[in-house]
Amino acid sequence: MRTCGDIRELLGVWLDGELSPRDAEGVRLHLQSCTQCNGELRQLERLHSSLKSLIESNGSRVAFEPFWRGVQERIAEKRPWHRGAVEWARSTLAGPGLAWAIPAVILVVLSVVSLNSVWKLLGQRNNFAAVESIDAHGRNVALLREDETKTTVIWLYQNQEGEDDSSGENTETSPSF
Amino acid sequence: MELSDWELVQKCQAGEKDAFQELVSRYHQKIYVVLAGLLRNREDALEVAQEAFFRAYRKIKSFQGGSSFYTWLYRIAVNMAIDSQRRQKRNPLDFRETMDGLFEERNEVARDPFSDVHDRELREKLVSAINDLTPEHRAVIILRTVEGLSYKDIGEILGCSEGTVMSRLHYARKRLQEKLSAFL
Repeated sequence: MRTCGDIRELLGVWLDGELSPRDAEGVRLHLQSCTQCNGELRQLERLHSSLKSLIESNGSRVAFEPFWRGVQERIAEKRPWHRGAVEWARSTLAGPGLAWAIPAVILVVLSVVSLNSVWKLLGQRNNFAAVESIDAHGRNVALLREDETKTTVIWLYQNQEGEDDSSGENTETSPSF
Repeated sequence: MELSDWELVQKCQAGEKDAFQELVSRYHQKIYVVLAGLLRNREDALEVAQEAFFRAYRKIKSFQGGSSFYTWLYRIAVNMAIDSQRRQKRNPLDFRETMDGLFEERNEVARDPFSDVHDRELREKLVSAINDLTPEHRAVIILRTVEGLSYKDIGEILGCSEGTVMSRLHYARKRLQEKLSAFL
């Protein structure tokens, strides 16, 4: 059993003829016995007729000839390409179907920017120079790699100790560039 | 025998400009009335209506007949009006003055449907209440009330579902009823 509140929610749709036959019949039967809902219905009908009168009186008759001339002038007019592009963008992006697109693009841009910041922060944490040393037939190669500036220094030097084992305790090396 | 809209569209697509002229003559008044209701300014309505027909002419080759021609044309015109209203938000017109100007003009030719004092008050309240609606709510109520379009057609024009049309109409009517309860 529908209450008056339920019926009033449906009155506008019923007036528009958009209710299912079953619901429409329910509203019709309720209206036969409910003066309050009939009052609400009359209000809606008066609102409808007042609104229709207002809008129709606002839109005066437009003579066809001057109107058509205006359309023809627009058709004949050569518009600069950028005006066309702006019109296209406006009509494409401003459509209600794409209303989500602008916030979505902003969200994606913000995500990329913030991810980039996080990436940089992580990068700073790992910002150290790696030194690798290779010993090859008495000649040493030291590679110094620095990630942030992407610099690699190749350091060639001779190991005195390796050349002359007789030097005993002398472990100093002389770098040569 | 009068050609159907679709037959005229096909002639336009084949390059017959006279066919487009016939379509303009069929719909210019209807489009103008809806736009005048949405924009509440005759000059703006005329401007947008002509621009809408121009855009329809330019795009007519892409019209495949999936919907009726008038639904397609209304979609172009109404979306242009809503877009124009959003841009005008920054610099709104004095709508009350605009509407009053129109009504005074009507009085001169004795066509004002709101002739007695009570009805004049109702009209003023109605104008104010319509002004307070969003462009989307105004669009559904005008398309339904003036044009008598179905929820399905309104949904196609505004690019939303029938359920959304129903809820927007319900909301718009409630708001108008609340503001006009003393006059209805």
